[in-house]
Amino acid sequence: MMSGVGALLIRKLLFGLLAMFVALSASFFFFGAKYPPLRGTSLEHAYWVWLRGLPSGRSLSQGLLEPHLLSLVGVAFGRTMLLLALTLVIEVAIAVPVACLAAANRGSPLDFMLRFGIYVAWAVPGFVIAILLQEGFGRIPGGWGTGWFPSVGWAGNCPNGQGIDSRTFQCPTAGHGVVHVGQVIYHLALPALALALGFIGVHARYLRHSILDVLDEPHVMVARGKGLSERAVLLRHGVRNALVAFVPALLSDLGLLFGAALAVDYIFQLGGLGTYFINLLKLNADGLVPVDTYAVVFALLLGAAVMLTASLLGEVAVALLDPRVRSD
Amino acid sequence: MAMVEAESAPPHAESRPSASARVWRRLAGQPVALGAGIVLVVLFVIGALAPVIVPGGAKIDLTEAGRNVAPTLNGWHLFGTDGIGQDMLVRTLYGLHTSEQSAIAATLLATVVGVVLGSLAGYRGGWVDAVVMRLADLLAVFPALMIFLAVYTYFTTVTAWKATFAFACFVWIPVARVVRAEISSLRGREFVQAALSLGASDRRIFFRHLLPNASGTIIVAATSVLGLVFVLEATLEFFGLGVSTAIEATLGNLIGDGQRGVFELGEGWWTWAGPASVLVVVVVCVNLVGDGLADALRTNRRR
Repeated sequence: MMSGVGALLIRKLLFGLLAMFVALSASFFFFGAKYPPLRGTSLEHAYWVWLRGLPSGRSLSQGLLEPHLLSLVGVAFGRTMLLLALTLVIEVAIAVPVACLAAANRGSPLDFMLRFGIYVAWAVPGFVIAILLQEGFGRIPGGWGTGWFPSVGWAGNCPNGQGIDSRTFQCPTAGHGVVHVGQVIYHLALPALALALGFIGVHARYLRHSILDVLDEPHVMVARGKGLSERAVLLRHGVRNALVAFVPALLSDLGLLFGAALAVDYIFQLGGLGTYFINLLKLNADGLVPVDTYAVVFALLLGAAVMLTASLLGEVAVALLDPRVRSD
Repeated sequence: MAMVEAESAPPHAESRPSASARVWRRLAGQPVALGAGIVLVVLFVIGALAPVIVPGGAKIDLTEAGRNVAPTLNGWHLFGTDGIGQDMLVRTLYGLHTSEQSAIAATLLATVVGVVLGSLAGYRGGWVDAVVMRLADLLAVFPALMIFLAVYTYFTTVTAWKATFAFACFVWIPVARVVRAEISSLRGREFVQAALSLGASDRRIFFRHLLPNASGTIIVAATSVLGLVFVLEATLEFFGLGVSTAIEATLGNLIGDGQRGVFELGEGWWTWAGPASVLVVVVVCVNLVGDGLADALRTNRRR
C-alpha cells in the first residue's frame, strides 16, 4: 500500500515544485523585468541576477536594513493559519450536528429549514457574509450593529486607527498568556465564523447526503432488523461511515478554504497573507511604484505550499480511510 | 441515452417525444428552477437595458437633502443615495450592466475554450491529454484569488474587457475537466465504436455523436461557471484592484466602495447592501437554475 501512495505523493510533490518554479519565473517576466536596475540588460542576465538574489530575501525596492522578507510574510502566514484552524473547529462543530439532525428527520419541516439554511450559506458569496457579520456584530462608529466584537484588526492592532479606546486614545493591549490567547480568539471569532459559514453550506449538504446514502444500504437494514434503535443506527452506521467520506472531502477543500481566507482576512484587516498580498499589489495600483517581485513570489509560494499540502493530505486520507483504495 | 436511441432509429422512434422536449417537460416540473430562471432573465434584461432606462447614469446631488438618504419611496431612492447624492439604484443597475456583460462573455469564451481543449484531450488522449490536463493542474496549484490579483496588477488600469479576458483564461479549467471525462467515456461506448468501424471521420463522430451527447454536461458546466465568475469577479472588484468605480461601476466595486464608505466616510449600510443584494439574488438564481438543469439532464441519462 505504502509504495503506491508514496509514489503518488512524490509525483505530486515534484509537480508542485515545478509549478512553483513556473510561477516564480512568471512573476519575474511579468513584473521583475520592468524594474529599473534590471532594465536594459539582456533578459537572461536579468533573470539570472533576479533568481540569484531570491534567497537573500531582500526586496529590490527596499533597503538592506529591512528584515528578511520571509519573516514579514511568515508573520502574515501564521495569522492566516490560525484563522484557518479556528475556522475548521467552528465548521466541524456546526456542520456535523446540522447534517445529522437533517438526516435523522428526513422530509420533516426541520429538515427543510436546515436544508434551506445550508443552501443559503452555500450560495451567498463569502465576502458578503463577511461584511454582514462585520457590520452586524462588529464595533463600527455610527454603525447599526450590536458591537459585540472588534470589527477589524488582530489582537493589539488597530489598523487605520480603528478600534482605538476613545478615552485613553490608545490601542487596547493584546495582554499576556491566557489573556492573549483569549484576545486572539476574540478578534478571530467573527472572521472565522464568516469563513466557516460558507463551507458549512458545502459540507453539511455533502454530509447529509452521504449519511442518507449509508442509511439506505443493506447492512443498515440488517442492523435495523436485529432490533438496533434508530438512534444507534444513525450514530454507529450512518454518521460513522459518512465521516469516512467526509474527512477527505474536508481536507481536499482546505485549499479552497485558504483562498477564501485571503478575502475574509482582507475584509477584517487581520494582517494575514490576504491583507499582505493585496496591500502589496495596491502599492502598484497607479502603476508608478514597481511591484515588489520578491515579496509577491514569497506570498505566492506559501499559497501554493498550502494548496499542495491540502491536496496531499486529502489523498493520504482517502488512501488510509477507504479500504477499496488500500491494496493490503 | 435518448440521442443514441434516436440515432439507431427503431421503427417506433417517431411516437416518442424528442430528447429536448422531454428535458423541457422535466424542467417545467421544477417550479423553483423555472422561477429562478425567470427572475434571472428579467434581471439580465433590466441590466442590459440600464443605459436605455436611465441614460447618463446617476446624477450627483450635493445638497444636504440629496446626500446619504436611506432607502425611501420618496423620490424613488429605493436603494438610498451615497455620500455625493448619487442614487444607488441607478448605480447598481449600471453595475449589473457591466458585471453581467463581462460574466456572460467570460463564460461563453471559457466554455468554447474548455469544450475544444477538453474534447481534444478526451478524444485524442495521449500527449494532447497530458499537456492540457497538466496545464489545468498547474493553474490549480495556486489559490485562484492570488492568481487573479497578480494578473489584475499586471493589467493595471483594468477595464471590464481585460477582466473578462483574464477570467476566461482561467475558468475554462472546470469545463475542460468535465468535458474531457464525458467525451472519453462516450468514446468507449458501442455506438461510437460502431461509427468508427463504419469509417466515419473524426469530425463527423465529434459533431454528430459526441457533441450532442455531451451537450447536457456542457450546459450544466457552463451554468456553474457563470455563477463562479459572478462571485469571483465581484470578490476581486471588491478589493478595489480591478475596474475603478470612476471608470465603470460593477457590482463588486460598488460593494467595495460602500463597505469602505461605511468605515471611512460614515456612509450608510445601504450603499453596499443594494448592490450586494442584487449580486446575491443573481448568484442564488444561477445556482438554482444550474441545479434544475442538472436534475433535468441527469434523469434523462438514467433512462
